Amino acid sequence: MFFPLPVEGSYTWSGVLGDTKMSALRWTCNLSRMWTEWTPWDRPQLPRGRKWIDKGPRGAGLMSCVTVTNMAEHNMTQSGEKFYNEILSPSELFAAQSRSHKLPVRGQKDFYPNDSEEQRQRLEQSLEEHWSLISEERVERLGNLVKATWIPSEKIVELQTPAGKFWQTMGFSARGKQYLHPEEALHLMECGSVQVFYQDLPLSIQDGYERFLSSSTVSLLQYQVFAHLKRLGYVVHRFDPSSEPSSYARQLNLPQSCNKERRQLKRKRSASPTPSTKSTSQAETQKESTADIMEEEKCSHEEDESKKLPDSDLKTCSETSDTQTGPADSGGGRTWWMADISGDQSEHQPASGSPRWHFSSISFPDLGSSERHPSCLFPPDPSLLPGSLAVGVCDITPWRSRINLRQVKMSAKEQKREMDRGRRRWDINRDKEVRRCRNWAEYHKLQARREGRRKGQPEHLWNREVTPLHDPSQPIPTAELLETISVSKSSNLLEGASRVKASDQWRIRFNVYQPDTVADFKKTNPGRPYCRMCVCSFSDPVPDLRAIKQMAVQSGDIQVICAVVDYGDISFYAFKDFQLPTDVYP
Amino acid sequence: MEGAPRTEEPTSCRVVGISHCDSASLLWRVEDLRSVRSQGLVGSLLGSLPRTPRQNSRLGRPLQLLPEEELLLSKCHTAASLPPANQHEGGSGLVQQVALQGEERRRSYEEQSIIALEGRKSAVLRAMASSNTGSGSETCQHKAHWDSLKALDQSFTFPLSALAVQLSTARVGLAHCPESRAFLQAHWSIRVQLSQHSEARYEVFRDLRRRGFYLTSAGKFGGDFLVYPGDPLRFHAHFIAVCLSKDKPVCLLDILSVARLGSNVKKTVLLCSPGGGGVLYTSLQWSGMV
Repeated sequence: MFFPLPVEGSYTWSGVLGDTKMSALRWTCNLSRMWTEWTPWDRPQLPRGRKWIDKGPRGAGLMSCVTVTNMAEHNMTQSGEKFYNEILSPSELFAAQSRSHKLPVRGQKDFYPNDSEEQRQRLEQSLEEHWSLISEERVERLGNLVKATWIPSEKIVELQTPAGKFWQTMGFSARGKQYLHPEEALHLMECGSVQVFYQDLPLSIQDGYERFLSSSTVSLLQYQVFAHLKRLGYVVHRFDPSSEPSSYARQLNLPQSCNKERRQLKRKRSASPTPSTKSTSQAETQKESTADIMEEEKCSHEEDESKKLPDSDLKTCSETSDTQTGPADSGGGRTWWMADISGDQSEHQPASGSPRWHFSSISFPDLGSSERHPSCLFPPDPSLLPGSLAVGVCDITPWRSRINLRQVKMSAKEQKREMDRGRRRWDINRDKEVRRCRNWAEYHKLQARREGRRKGQPEHLWNREVTPLHDPSQPIPTAELLETISVSKSSNLLEGASRVKASDQWRIRFNVYQPDTVADFKKTNPGRPYCRMCVCSFSDPVPDLRAIKQMAVQSGDIQVICAVVDYGDISFYAFKDFQLPTDVYP
Repeated sequence: MEGAPRTEEPTSCRVVGISHCDSASLLWRVEDLRSVRSQGLVGSLLGSLPRTPRQNSRLGRPLQLLPEEELLLSKCHTAASLPPANQHEGGSGLVQQVALQGEERRRSYEEQSIIALEGRKSAVLRAMASSNTGSGSETCQHKAHWDSLKALDQSFTFPLSALAVQLSTARVGLAHCPESRAFLQAHWSIRVQLSQHSEARYEVFRDLRRRGFYLTSAGKFGGDFLVYPGDPLRFHAHFIAVCLSKDKPVCLLDILSVARLGSNVKKTVLLCSPGGGGVLYTSLQWSGMV
């Protein structure tokens, strides 16, 4: 009544197990198979993970052997022969289901072989582990296998039973059927999820490699990269150049470009929150505002300004923007995003302020400081007025009652600034030399003479065909100066790339999506790839600039990575577009 | 260069079957893999490991051979190039094979269901044995066990979905028998026309192998071969072999870069130039001058 578990395998032990090559082990494989083969000179290949009987618990081994022999009695007819086909017997298949899924840990390596017994043993153990791992065959429950057939004419694999979990990231539907690309099918075969049939016979992994991989589908190199990434969990799809928008279409794609701009804005903001002299509170509001809020802010600032302008001293409106630093400064804060302000803020004031009224260019009559003037404005010269318009004397007393006549109290600093301004705004008519000029030509000559004198440099340098790159008297920002005197202009990777013709050798092969996106990955809308792969081998040349340019323009803003295969080894390299930084503040 | 750890000539003359996939030479059978390894050729594994397929630290069959390894095997007459898969193309043979396969499947199902039944039974028996030793006179429990055992015998059905199926790694086929290999071996032709550099590589490979070193490809290290003093499973590589022509000038910068790289990975760079019946070795080591 007692049946021991037949876990020890299906070989019988009927003699001495020595280390001679002709051991007495009998291999009770499936003898009725017609394509098995016979190898008389070597020990039989043991099924994975199992030890030789003479090493294992002897009693149990013998017992189980008896069981198996009984069960597979009809197989014993040819027991004199030994078969090493890598095909498992039913009992082995059954036992294989409960085998471990752990990888043996590899110990520390030694530095130099010293012929010691210890080293020899360790090597033997490592090798034994190695071979047991390598010789393991894939065994799956029929219920867990998806059945598929290979269609050689179309180089695809058609699923016969419903797809498994892999369908979320792999395969495609057409004509109401589910298909897998050959590389996907092969990978799934290797993972033990799919069994592919051809002419009603199951294909081995070897068949898969030899039939599925070809230059018209995916080469072995490409498959190696594909499988490497798949094993790491990445979602890998074939790259289809036609599905990529051309660079022109990419330019026209408004939502995309909009997104890109917003992203850039955000990045810039977080990278350098306050480059100018701004109060921290303002900086904070700037930081949390998005581009849309920015627009609102702009409007509100404009309102502020228009509110403030009426009650400011109307002496010179151009000055309000300068002395009343509040609105002007916030205006500066706004322009911080759009363009750099290098010159006077008052110059930019009209541009960033209300677009209709250029207050700095309209001279209002000075009413506030008109204590010494008569209480009325003289009428304008009638010759300047159009046609029949008559303008009389204007009484300003009602206006004066309406405006704020308080004296402007200026700090010492402000006074000094005022003085400077006064000095700068030099009335040209006080210049005696200018007054001596009788016409424009003389004035221009005078200007040129003064210019040359101010420069203090030889005029002749500018008279010739070749002139200096820069006039030192002209004040320009350092960055611009560097650009004017640079001998070779810096170039962009994508410059002129659209004209580069596609080469056959260098092509993007795969779109790669990150593993963490797998949960909500959609094949119909995979989104932005994490990167793109181009496959080459170490014996190939390094991709030239032409190839890099061509792939970069094809890929757009997604990085192209070269997967370089060196036999089993795969290394990943990328070429990055890099711009030398100009470390100058404008 | 110092004396080799040990010398071993490939003595085994088992013919190894090499199949070609996309110009790569692949070995599929464990027998072949073992035989090649016993000759000190390492190769590189490409496939997913059946036990844990979704990782890259340990890979499984197939094993890809370096061109030098393949050449060495073929020069020792221990390699045969196997023809591509076509065993399924036959007409009447195909029908026979399909029938055979069905028969196989059916028999496997029968046997597995017997084993599964035995497994269940023995589990019940074990439970019985433990209850016996546990608390003496629980006869009703004992009876229940006997009943369940009987019920198992009568109504046990092994679901087809639980049938264990093998997804074979290597192709099953007659092409692997020794006679056909011997035949294929006779028809061996060197597929690749050797360039000068690959000829130099082969010379270096053969010489280092003859001295007992194990070699793998060293693309990542900017050289031709990584040279191991023993089996790479147990030992670190000591050298990066760079094959150079004996009489061609070498750019100093190249030497510097390769030496610098070698010092960074704690390996010695070995400049190998075949010529004059042997191979000349020059080792480079980066040393700081104080």
